[in-house]
Amino acid sequence: MWNKSPIIRGLATLLLFFALEGVSLLFIAKDSLFQKARINSIMMGIKGDISGFSSDVRYFIGLWKVNDMLHQENIALKNKLDHLKSELGQRDTLFSVTADSTRPGFSYIPARIISNSTNKLQNFIILDKGSRHGVQKEMGVVSALGVVGVVKEVTENYSYVISFLNTTQSISARISPSGAFGPLEWDGKSTNHAILSQIPQHIRFNMGDTVSTSGYSSIFPGGIPLGTAQSSTLKGGTHHMITVKLFQDFSSLHLVNIAVNLNIQEINNLKESNNNNEY
Amino acid sequence: MNIRPNTSIFLMFTGFVLLQIILSGLIDFGPLLFISIYPLFLLTLPLYLPSRRLMVWAFATGLTIDYFSNSIMGINSAASIIMVVSQTRVFKLLYRKGDMENQVRPGMREMGLSRFSAYIAINLAIHHIALVSLENFGFGHFASTLPRIVVSLMANTILILIAEYGVFYRRRR
Repeated sequence: MWNKSPIIRGLATLLLFFALEGVSLLFIAKDSLFQKARINSIMMGIKGDISGFSSDVRYFIGLWKVNDMLHQENIALKNKLDHLKSELGQRDTLFSVTADSTRPGFSYIPARIISNSTNKLQNFIILDKGSRHGVQKEMGVVSALGVVGVVKEVTENYSYVISFLNTTQSISARISPSGAFGPLEWDGKSTNHAILSQIPQHIRFNMGDTVSTSGYSSIFPGGIPLGTAQSSTLKGGTHHMITVKLFQDFSSLHLVNIAVNLNIQEINNLKESNNNNEY
Repeated sequence: MNIRPNTSIFLMFTGFVLLQIILSGLIDFGPLLFISIYPLFLLTLPLYLPSRRLMVWAFATGLTIDYFSNSIMGINSAASIIMVVSQTRVFKLLYRKGDMENQVRPGMREMGLSRFSAYIAINLAIHHIALVSLENFGFGHFASTLPRIVVSLMANTILILIAEYGVFYRRRR
């Protein structure tokens, strides 16, 4: 019966053709990187279409849940807004806070890292925001977990940042309970550690104390946590050299904020007039 | 079907695979020319073989050659399966009634020089286009790979005709 029906025979031939071609393609994909990449991209496309469709279906089925969640979130946000409104009314006269800033005096431009190195002594970062977006030279770059660097050069769409992991870079930092401050520098040894120096010998601190930006610079806002004190040595009998374990993992850094000092013009004017009047 | 034709097919298979491996190892004219002489074996398989059997032979030949020569594994088998599928259709195009009475092998002696040359050239063209397309994985670079197809097609057609004439045509006379 099998050999008599021409349709079944034709189908068997077709099936064998596809099976043998499939095996050959599998061999090709296994053997050659180029073909593997092409086949993978086709397969990924098909996979993506299928999973996209299934997620659409799941999304549609789950819409009532989403609606419920959004409703609850809406109510919570409304409550918060009312609360903040009343609080702001009381404090309005004390601070002049711009709407998009998280700390007084600074606003932030979100940026994405498009190039980053951590394996050199002089490391640099390139960000996808430039002069078109309001970035200027000497602006600080921060993330949620610490200081990232300082903008060195700006083009229209990109900015070139000297990473904190650069032996020429130094930022003003203070150690928390006492408030003593000194320069925090990277020593070029480990991407997870930096050295806080020039802390006077009489200052008392414990291992694990938080080190944060001092705010004594026009580049970085104060109070950004940088790391914790890990060990210290006395240098020359007069100063502590504290090894700080950084919070920031520079190798996994992806999204950063460029800190714009809203008062930089005023500060610069002040510095300039001071220089002019020097005698 | 008795044992003898199968044995002779297997012997031919071994011979052509060896010849192909030796030739492609010896001859290296750069990227414009690749040598494939083994299609002669597949194209002159007995006419009574069903197409499924042809495909299995094509797969086995291609894969063996891929394994022993420096090509990408599976690329010759894929191309020769495609060639073998179109082989019978090409043969029917060139077939003249009464031509192949009692003949089983579509060779030069049986078909005559001109029709055998056409038969070889058309099938080889299919084989080469399939092979090169698989190498590039698409028809996108067709213009740049066309010289590779044309040069190889001419060289291999001539090579196969010489082999057919030298080995099978004269011996069977």
